[in-house]
Amino acid sequence: MSTIRNNYMNPYLAGFLLGMVLLASYMIAGRGLGASGAARSVVVTTVASAAPEYAEQSPFYAEYFAGVNPMGSWLVFLVIGVILGAFLSGAMSNRMRFSVDRGPNIRVRTRMFFALGGGLLFGLGAQFGRGCTSGSALSGMAVLSTGGILTMMAIFGTGYLIAYFFRKLWT
Amino acid sequence: MAPLIPQGIINPELTLFFALLLGIGFGYVLEQAGFSSAKKLAGVFYGYDFVVLRVFFTAGITAMTGILFFSYLGWLDMNFVFVNPTFLYSAILGGVIMGFGFIMGGYCPGTGIVAAVTGKTDAMVFVIGMFIGIFVFGHFYQSFESIYTGHFLGNIFVYDSLGMSRAWFALLLAVVAIMAFTITQMIEDRINKVSPEQIKTRPSYMLPSFLLVIALVVFLFLPEERRSNMREARPSELLAQVHDNEAYISTHRVILEIKNGRDELILIDTREQSEFERFTLPGAINIRADEILQRHWRPLFNQDHRQKVFFGNGNSSAMQAWFTAARAGYDNVYILNGGLNRMFSELFVDAEMPDTTAYNLQDRSNARFLYEARQFFLEGGLVDEQADRRQRIKAPEESEIIPVIGGC
Repeated sequence: MSTIRNNYMNPYLAGFLLGMVLLASYMIAGRGLGASGAARSVVVTTVASAAPEYAEQSPFYAEYFAGVNPMGSWLVFLVIGVILGAFLSGAMSNRMRFSVDRGPNIRVRTRMFFALGGGLLFGLGAQFGRGCTSGSALSGMAVLSTGGILTMMAIFGTGYLIAYFFRKLWT
Repeated sequence: MAPLIPQGIINPELTLFFALLLGIGFGYVLEQAGFSSAKKLAGVFYGYDFVVLRVFFTAGITAMTGILFFSYLGWLDMNFVFVNPTFLYSAILGGVIMGFGFIMGGYCPGTGIVAAVTGKTDAMVFVIGMFIGIFVFGHFYQSFESIYTGHFLGNIFVYDSLGMSRAWFALLLAVVAIMAFTITQMIEDRINKVSPEQIKTRPSYMLPSFLLVIALVVFLFLPEERRSNMREARPSELLAQVHDNEAYISTHRVILEIKNGRDELILIDTREQSEFERFTLPGAINIRADEILQRHWRPLFNQDHRQKVFFGNGNSSAMQAWFTAARAGYDNVYILNGGLNRMFSELFVDAEMPDTTAYNLQDRSNARFLYEARQFFLEGGLVDEQADRRQRIKAPEESEIIPVIGGC
């Protein structure tokens, strides 16, 4: 338990296995993987149960009032699985510990600020994109959906375009 | 065969169990790949670590190739597979916003969750940010709605958008990915100043790359898929079928089926929706001629053992629908001869209890049949049945529509 082991899986092998999980998902359920959809369910459920008067005004929360339980969805259970799987993997590879992951030249406070902002933008963007890197980009690529591939190109394209301006964060 | 749950091969009640199982695999692989480190993830944009690109594209290509071959072999019915819908500007705008989120936050939602689980405090903050971002979207939903739901192009495929064949696009994508893997490895080595000795110790990826390309080249030369428009019938054959009355089904047959409540016919009302809503035959569904070829009706038409009967007020709208469907290669399709007008005039105008002296035997049994049918229709025997049958017939179509809850 003294040092964090960094011997990660070969990326191509990991990619192949991830592809197999994705393929299995399509073969079993006819749909891909996803992560941000579960976060949306959490937000919808929390807000709609805590402030029903507020939520009733927006069509965004309509699914909650339509009698569907957003927490009983495919995506929510998928993410519960992700949490278990990540825990399993992290524990087995001895990588479980509290730390802040940041570039060499920024302070923890800066890192936290940008992590929050980045999360906010990702959450917002994933709504417009109807999914994040997994649900829209990766799954969209697997079925060759135009929208999914457009979203993927926009994510990475934007990343490269603006990387220079944010270089202090990471290098 | 597959997908197993939508096709009813695996009990839908087990859906969430499989979601959990697949999620465990998903989370495990992400963590093993090193996606619980923002620094590693962000490396893809600065050239010091291309692990994201490697894992992401290998996964995408693997799943794509699998889906390609399984759907070709008929193991995976694409009609039941959720294809991400394309809302043009929303997709691009979402991607751009997520690009900013990625550079600033260093994670994407899936990897953020994985990293938060393994104890990265910054990832926990990222996930909280994500909740706020979703809330912001919900709060301003009404302002965003026009772009969010605008420019809907359908559940379209990228190869169609580019005017390429599926096989060519798949091959192109694989070749681009392999080239990207090679080039990015060289960039990474230069930036990290990796020595040539170290590079030599790496495994060679020639064989898997080669196999992938060979497989996709083979796919290029496979004959057309079974469910494609290559089955298109020749117009002259279709005209002959109409001429020889093979395309028609009699009103008597349809009346009999409705009366007996059997499920062998699929009744398709080809009139306008307003007319359909005012009145239709029990169990009928409404598909206009111009809607026949929409993808989501395919499972309905692919039930080869059931006769699909088009009907309108007369013959014309049903005939249009019939031509469209038969030309696209759908089997077992018919036109209700004379349409609703003939059916009703037979049922309610002509059907009198036969005068036993005036008819020959054939006419008498016909007349008796119609008379009984009339009683049946008038007594409302069909009313209860109507709701029930309508549901049953629509079932294949409904099971296909998978709700889009935030997509991802």
